[in-house]
Amino acid sequence: MFRVFLMSLSVQNLWLIPALPLAAAAIGALTPRTGRALAAGAAITAMAGAFILSCLALVGALAEPAAHQVFNFAWFDLGHGALRLGLLLDPLTAFMGVMVTFVSLLIFIFSTGYMKDDANYKQFFCFLSLFASAMLGLLVANSLLLLFVCWELVGLASYLLIGFWFHKPAAAAAAKKAFITTRIGDLGFLLGILWLQDTQGTLLFYDGGHGILESAALANLAHLLPCGLAASTAIGLLIFCGAIGKSGQFPLHVWLPDAMEGPTPVSALIHAATMVAAGVFLMARVYPLMAADQGLANVPVHALTVVACIGAITALMGALIAVAQNDIKRILAFSTVSQLGYMMLAIGVGSWTAAIFHLLTHAFFKALLFLGAGSVIHAAHHEQDIRRLGGLRPKMKVTFATFAIGMMALAGVPFLFSGFWSKEAILHAAHEWNVSSLPLYAGLAAVVLTALYMTRLVAEVFFGAARTAEADHAHENSPAMTMPLVLLALCAVLLGFLGTPAFPWLQARLLGDSEVHGHSLLEGSGLMRVSIVLVALGLGAGWALYGRRPRARAESPDPLAARAPRLIAALASRLGFDELYAATVGRLSSGFATFCAFLEIYVWDGAVRFLAGLGELSGLVSRENDEQGFNAGFNSASESLRKTSTAYSKAQSGDAHGYLRTLALGFVLLLIIVILGGAR
Amino acid sequence: MNADYAGLFQALRPEAYLVIGALVVLIVDMIWARHRPANRHHVALALGLISLLMAGYAAATSGASGAIYDGMFQLDPLSVATRTGVILLAALALALLPDAARLRHPAEFTAILLFATTGFTLMAAANNLLVAFLALELASLSLYVLAGFDKASPESAEAGLKYFLFGGMAAAFLLFGFSLLYGLTGTLRLDLIGQQLAQQGPTPLLIVALVMVLVGFGFKAAAAPFHLWAPDVYQGAPAPAAALIASASKLAGLVLFTRLLWPGLGSAVGTIAHLPVTVGWAPVVALISGASLLLGNIGALAQSNVRRLLAYSAISHAGALLLGVIAAGRTGVGPLFYYAATYGLTTVGAFGVIGALESAGRVQQLTDLAGLHKRSPLLAGCLAVFVLSLAGIPPLAGFFGKFAVFASVLQLGGLAGPAGWLVICAIALSAVALYYYLLILKQALVAAPADNAAPVRVSLSATIALLIAAGLIVALGLWPSAVLELF
Repeated sequence: MFRVFLMSLSVQNLWLIPALPLAAAAIGALTPRTGRALAAGAAITAMAGAFILSCLALVGALAEPAAHQVFNFAWFDLGHGALRLGLLLDPLTAFMGVMVTFVSLLIFIFSTGYMKDDANYKQFFCFLSLFASAMLGLLVANSLLLLFVCWELVGLASYLLIGFWFHKPAAAAAAKKAFITTRIGDLGFLLGILWLQDTQGTLLFYDGGHGILESAALANLAHLLPCGLAASTAIGLLIFCGAIGKSGQFPLHVWLPDAMEGPTPVSALIHAATMVAAGVFLMARVYPLMAADQGLANVPVHALTVVACIGAITALMGALIAVAQNDIKRILAFSTVSQLGYMMLAIGVGSWTAAIFHLLTHAFFKALLFLGAGSVIHAAHHEQDIRRLGGLRPKMKVTFATFAIGMMALAGVPFLFSGFWSKEAILHAAHEWNVSSLPLYAGLAAVVLTALYMTRLVAEVFFGAARTAEADHAHENSPAMTMPLVLLALCAVLLGFLGTPAFPWLQARLLGDSEVHGHSLLEGSGLMRVSIVLVALGLGAGWALYGRRPRARAESPDPLAARAPRLIAALASRLGFDELYAATVGRLSSGFATFCAFLEIYVWDGAVRFLAGLGELSGLVSRENDEQGFNAGFNSASESLRKTSTAYSKAQSGDAHGYLRTLALGFVLLLIIVILGGAR
Repeated sequence: MNADYAGLFQALRPEAYLVIGALVVLIVDMIWARHRPANRHHVALALGLISLLMAGYAAATSGASGAIYDGMFQLDPLSVATRTGVILLAALALALLPDAARLRHPAEFTAILLFATTGFTLMAAANNLLVAFLALELASLSLYVLAGFDKASPESAEAGLKYFLFGGMAAAFLLFGFSLLYGLTGTLRLDLIGQQLAQQGPTPLLIVALVMVLVGFGFKAAAAPFHLWAPDVYQGAPAPAAALIASASKLAGLVLFTRLLWPGLGSAVGTIAHLPVTVGWAPVVALISGASLLLGNIGALAQSNVRRLLAYSAISHAGALLLGVIAAGRTGVGPLFYYAATYGLTTVGAFGVIGALESAGRVQQLTDLAGLHKRSPLLAGCLAVFVLSLAGIPPLAGFFGKFAVFASVLQLGGLAGPAGWLVICAIALSAVALYYYLLILKQALVAAPADNAAPVRVSLSATIALLIAAGLIVALGLWPSAVLELF
């Protein structure tokens, strides 16, 4: 009786999870524009189904956490070999799957309220379902190739959804920027894949000892290249390029803040909770490959060291820039960049479980923050500038309460909030890293800044007096929008207790341990004390600057900008990365494009015109030939056939006597022919 | 002679159903339906269809039980398939009756059609010269009446008379030929005639008898130079009668003469597969075939009358069918039967479309078809299927029929002899034929309708018949093995 409820999804059936949203996307694509309820209903139903299936898959994965359950199959035969793809079920896939489906489900529900007035409502749900399908496909893939296909599909869905309001030039430009920027990283990723296929002959992760993440294959990559790097280091760094692009890491982070031009649910789902975390997931998935060079002493650099440095730079830089932004979604976007930096930092210092723990908690509280921001924006008639909001706390009680929970989780307020525990895990791992202490210091500095900018955000938006008519008229939103907030807020609190140092259940399951070894919170708690102090410092500074004396008017100067105007101005312009890229890469590529256009117009086009002229000439000649010679002959032949026919028809006079004579004549003629033939 | 009456009755159940059906139609009309003019057509049609369906079922399930009644009849797979086929074709032709509303005596028309069908089924099974001649005459006499049935039309009367005169003379030749054969061999049974002739070898008298038989055959198949009746009859006869003459009559005649020529006169076949040609009936048939192909295709080119055009098309198809007869002895009758049966379906369909249109006004000239796609998309679509099948466009049955027959002829001796040359000639003439077939489709599918043209109302039975014919043509074109595997 009880067993029925404990059934689990086996790995062979794992394809159902991405297939459900894909079917919903197909339904959405095929319904007419007026089929709003059908498209949204299909999307939400499919997502709920996928969520249930993911939970069943999690049950299956936790039954044998150490095993990588795989289901490989041949896609098509290629010469003597076959190109094989596969599905993979392990705790990493399963936890991610549950998170993605749950967050997606809540955001889909939120979207029914947020996008209510949009003319392209059904298309929105079609795109969302497509995204969810690709994202889930990415999670269950047991092949780097399948993962890459889904990786590009989520990129496509992201492009479509950032540019959803394509009539806004900024949105169209942002979509293009996101697509092209991530493509730069994907180029490296693709090169890495090709290199791996070339050396290993397979792209399956796990294949009974032959997969690219298993020790036999990893030993193949230990040799040194002419440049001094190990082969695994080079391949790992190429794959990391893809993660840099997708997860908004320095130096390819520039697309992520611009992606906020898309609808807010999209920002919450794709550009905060799930897709941007795909880079972190990828790094965790290929962690054995990334860590393969750790044992080599005579190499100039290890792959993970690069990852840690990039992560640390991104974490600090994102937090710094966030301090000086004024758009509510941009602040959250830079905070996402910073948090993704933390996760990369964790992977770099060797604790991918801490990275995934932070990924999961971050997904919930950042989705919560974005949906809260969406709720504010929806209520305030699309006003996004925090200087022009204010005083929303009494008007939007649910939004404020949930947003505050999300803010405290992000800031890392101790003990009660999930962000604290996952961030502690990362800082702890960074502390134990014996290569360098700089990532730890960068992380600690970012802790202060995070608390500071989040306090500023909450104080400016919810406290003080309403500074514009839009903020003044704001009111709480419908339950379709607030209910997901409450659920996400609950998760933002509770999820942290899955991985506290006293009982690190999540990390143990991810590593495949069935035993959980915790230790007392007081043991080695010096780092924790430091970070608690730093959080308090950030919160206090933020409150002192922005909360104690709220901004009176929208145009009032920023207290921090008044103290350090040049620094804040530099940060507000995002440290000039966009300008730098525009001046270097942008100018280079536009120069190259001009050159290509020149070649196209004057060189290739001329050649094509010349060839076309030749073709026209020969066509002319052969047409003359055809009309004068061949066709005329055919026409005259046809004409003579018709004339014969007319003459023959005239011969058939309709005279019955003639008919009978012909019959008799025919008989005689035949007889003569046969008899003469016989005589011969 | 050991008379097995039970076996005979069992074998002739289809004919019994047909004759009883004809009598019932006449009696019901005389007693009851005659006084209800509104329903007269429908009653006749319903009773006729019922008896045809019963006969068709009996024919299809009768089974190939071999020689019946002291060799009078031969029930082999060919006769089972042919009897079923002619009954199906007759049913499709009868279904056109409601649209030929000008026929004043539908019950008589139906009854005579059933008698004609009886003749066809007997022709398909006959294995005796006398039975064959009687069956042929039963069918022919019925058809003469049907051709002239439209008493209001002088053309119909002319058609009936010309058909009768021509048919009568051909029958005289045929009967003379049969009597010579009987004189040479002393038996009427085809298989015994075959054995006797194999012992005697060819004699001049046999050659004369052969040519006389082939005159009758050429008349029945509308092959040159015995084709002259066809354009006039096709032009004047009522549509259901023309459909029957062009389809079921042709199928039954082909099967009868194939049986006569191969089991009966097989030893006198001669050869045309290789040079030099040896004397026999095959060179004569080849001559007739070549003349039909040429005259039919070239004669059709200048026709502006759609019915005459179909007649010349029928003559050219007869040429191709005769090629199939030459090959049937060596490679089996499958391709020939397939070609003849599917050709019958297409002509019934084509005359069905014309008949359906004639309920709205007389259809003679090609321009009477103008704008059919606007007036009745269904008729235009069906007509396209039929005409394209006649032209031999894949994947329709007409293509595969021609393909199978030509392939079987080429199996005889490749391109080394006159048979192969005839195939090349036939294929070349198919290209010519495409021209006049497309003339029909151009009027039906491209040309604009005349100003006073009204939409066409097609009766339910004709609609169903046309859809069945078109569906069978497509289906048999896609799965020709369904028919070819019967043999």
